[in-house]
Amino acid sequence: MNIASHLDKIDRFERLRARLDTMGDFELWFWAAMNTGTNAVNAALHHAGATIADDAFPTQPGVYLVPGTDGKLEPAFRPPGDVLHVGRPKIEGKLPEDVTAMMQAMEIIEHHRDPCIRGERDATPEIAAECAQALEKVLVLLRQRMSTPGKAWKP
Amino acid sequence: MEALDHRQRAERIERSIAKCGDADHEMKIEGAMLAGTHWVNFILHRMGVTKGDLDVMHSYMLTVNELRKYSVADAEMMAAIAEIEDIRPAHVRGNVPGGPAAAKRALELLATLRAKAHKLSV
Repeated sequence: MNIASHLDKIDRFERLRARLDTMGDFELWFWAAMNTGTNAVNAALHHAGATIADDAFPTQPGVYLVPGTDGKLEPAFRPPGDVLHVGRPKIEGKLPEDVTAMMQAMEIIEHHRDPCIRGERDATPEIAAECAQALEKVLVLLRQRMSTPGKAWKP
Repeated sequence: MEALDHRQRAERIERSIAKCGDADHEMKIEGAMLAGTHWVNFILHRMGVTKGDLDVMHSYMLTVNELRKYSVADAEMMAAIAEIEDIRPAHVRGNVPGGPAAAKRALELLATLRAKAHKLSV
């Protein structure tokens, strides 16, 4: 997806997250935070020229929905565009330090995904605070990166 | 996770979805996926098809045999959760026009799953 669309989603997810009750709505609060962070990482990867900003939407690592000849979306293999989650797929090659730091912060959030959202671990205010702090770091780094010129993706 | 826990989590997520506005189609779809998956697990546990130590996470991660087995239990249920999952790439991860209509459809499918679960509730 293009960077502007990633930033638009981040803006709307963050507005919603602000309306949700952190603990009372933890599942959707967390999911909005995780989606915000994933869009931020994707925008940063595109900006760094590490992945393609394109109208291709991931269904699983390596497989994207792309417009077919009739305009309808069809699954197809594509080079790395948007990641589904940090590490899915792993982006090969040396990445800028700030993007690596964003991904490391996202790992903190992702670490709580399955236990707290799919599993039986109850979320705690400490877990929520840890996720919020990690996401804030991601967004600070994204804002810094977006204030600098970007690079085009080169295969 | 036991059936009642799935029910409680599904209901809590549905209360959160109600806080989403017109601009929040992605999180309505994601909420439908999360709550809908809890309802699927509630139904499968209540029917005795699966136990609490075997929860479905994403329909697309099931083996072909698992999908066939759960579809024998309730084909419409598995089709509903699969359709919700299929909405996500274009409208949650993508920016394809029609997001609000896609969210409306996801919530209709969630209502179908909730209704099936309620029939099995004591």
